[in-house]
Amino acid sequence: MITISIDEKACVSCSLCVDICPTKVFSFNSVKDLPEVALPKECFGCLSCSEICPSDAIQHTGAALSSCFHHDTYCTNIVSKLAVSEPASFEDIASATGLDEAMRDISVRLLSVGTVLKDVVGAGLPSVGLMAGRSLATQLPRYRPPKNLEEAFELAIKEFAPAWGLEFKQDSDNLKVCVKECFVRGLCKQENISLGGELCVLFFNYLSGYLGKMSKTQLKLVTAERSAESCSYEVKIMHR
Amino acid sequence: MKATIATEWLSGCSGCHVAVVDLHEKLLGLLENVEFVRIPVLMDEKDYPEADIGIVEGAVRSEHDRVALKKMRSKVKTLIAFGTCAVYGGPSGIGWLHESSDVMNCAYRSGPTNSGTESPDMNAVPLEECVVPIDEVVPVDIYLPGCPPHPYFIAAAIKAVLDPCAPRITGKPVCSDCTRKMRKSENITLKRGELTAEDQEICFLSQGVVCLGSVTLNRCLAPCPKRGTACSGCAGPSLDIVNEPQLDIRTLVAKRMNMLTGIDTTDVTSYIEQNAKTFYAYALASPAIYKKPTVEIMEWTGETTKLN
Ligand code: SF4
Ligand code: SF4
Ligand code: SF4
Ligand code: SF4
Ligand code: SF4
Repeated sequence: MITISIDEKACVSCSLCVDICPTKVFSFNSVKDLPEVALPKECFGCLSCSEICPSDAIQHTGAALSSCFHHDTYCTNIVSKLAVSEPASFEDIASATGLDEAMRDISVRLLSVGTVLKDVVGAGLPSVGLMAGRSLATQLPRYRPPKNLEEAFELAIKEFAPAWGLEFKQDSDNLKVCVKECFVRGLCKQENISLGGELCVLFFNYLSGYLGKMSKTQLKLVTAERSAESCSYEVKIMHR
Repeated sequence: MKATIATEWLSGCSGCHVAVVDLHEKLLGLLENVEFVRIPVLMDEKDYPEADIGIVEGAVRSEHDRVALKKMRSKVKTLIAFGTCAVYGGPSGIGWLHESSDVMNCAYRSGPTNSGTESPDMNAVPLEECVVPIDEVVPVDIYLPGCPPHPYFIAAAIKAVLDPCAPRITGKPVCSDCTRKMRKSENITLKRGELTAEDQEICFLSQGVVCLGSVTLNRCLAPCPKRGTACSGCAGPSLDIVNEPQLDIRTLVAKRMNMLTGIDTTDVTSYIEQNAKTFYAYALASPAIYKKPTVEIMEWTGETTKLN
């Protein structure tokens, strides 16, 4: 059961909670100039009141936390370190909402998307990955494009984390891309999907398209290998 | 034994250091438990001595900032990002929208009050290309935004570091400390460019004036609305905005204003977008703001990204 409490000192008496609640949980006591929880049993935990409340005065216990999927670890880290009471850590939220299961669910769907794409576009599969990667490079929100390949690597590591853990080693025009973390790999192993399967081809080209667009180069795959811990690709950098 | 504190200022305005000194009697109380081993505003210590707590003011703007920050991090156990500049980039975050050569040019040559033709590039430490919050360079243990944080929160935060059982500080927005009442109102239009309103008892939003109190973390005890000026958001975004990618300053203010006054939400959002350099001034350089899918500061300000 959900219980609701109102911090009366923080409340600025706007009555927006009364207006917004779809199930009319609150009523406004104009003598006290404060909202009251009139029908607590009607609350179904949508948290609209909590979102609209200008002074964060409404607390619910027993309402489900929103899904952690869309949370950004950079932001949750700040929130957890503001010396504020009982911060919910990303790990807490992740375990409460089954992040691992959700990741697995997405991996399965991605694998089937890969297979279907291969059937439809055949030899054009790498181009699909490349184009998607190039489009990603222009669509992620950031103020300034990277100045060179090194900066592009740095940005890629940040922008692909935490689902992918990337490492780059460059030796003049030869580049080694090491994919240390990959959230689909567990499934690839389990389902015996080989390196160079549809999804790998798509992902690698996606990454190449993205890096190429950002650094104004073109990356061409030479070899690929997979070990117990990581997958890696050797790439030739072609300057445009 | 007393805990030791070392402080450093990077690209800030030194206001945060003044706020530490502003602890007054509280500082004396605090001094019973702590000892300052480095604090540029009070003592002449150029080295970076070891300390239990490191307090860093300001954003990373120049090469010097980066080096000083790394030195601090290597010498202190707990690092506090102190003030909005350190936490979110602060006002100098606006540098994100311009090349640093343009910034130098405007500050020293082309600005309306300048007649000089030279920039101090010979002996000055060069600016970096971008302004970043300090956690983009080193890991941070405690974030204490505020421009500057009110001494009440400084003392509470330092106590919270020294004693895990000490009371935590509030995570609520500025409105929670504001003495004005939010009321429904009719026949109100959006007052563009206004920072104040006639009725001192009633919330600015109810009177058609944009106040950022509900979207700003309370690290100040709400002095501005209490004294007649709308909040400009100097402590950085409220926790819901930092935490939830889909929530944003302009949309939340617009929604509340709309529910109170009936003013069209797009009126409010477009007004805020047109003045994005003002309304987003304090956290512009933080990924917590610029990575939001709906925040397009480059576009709103007419600065074009060079990515194509
Ligand atoms: S959580 Fe939703 S249903 Fe419950 S009181 Fe708030 S607005 Fe009403
Ligand atoms: S929305 Fe919040 S501030 Fe407004 S009346 Fe309800 S509890 Fe009070
Ligand atoms: S946070 Fe504000 S007071 Fe502190 S250094 Fe930055 S501008 Fe100055
Ligand atoms: S919006 Fe501004 S004036 Fe209104 S209650 Fe909040 S801080 Fe006070
Ligand atoms: S502008 Fe807002 S956040 Fe800054 S001191 Fe004033 S009320 Fe506080």
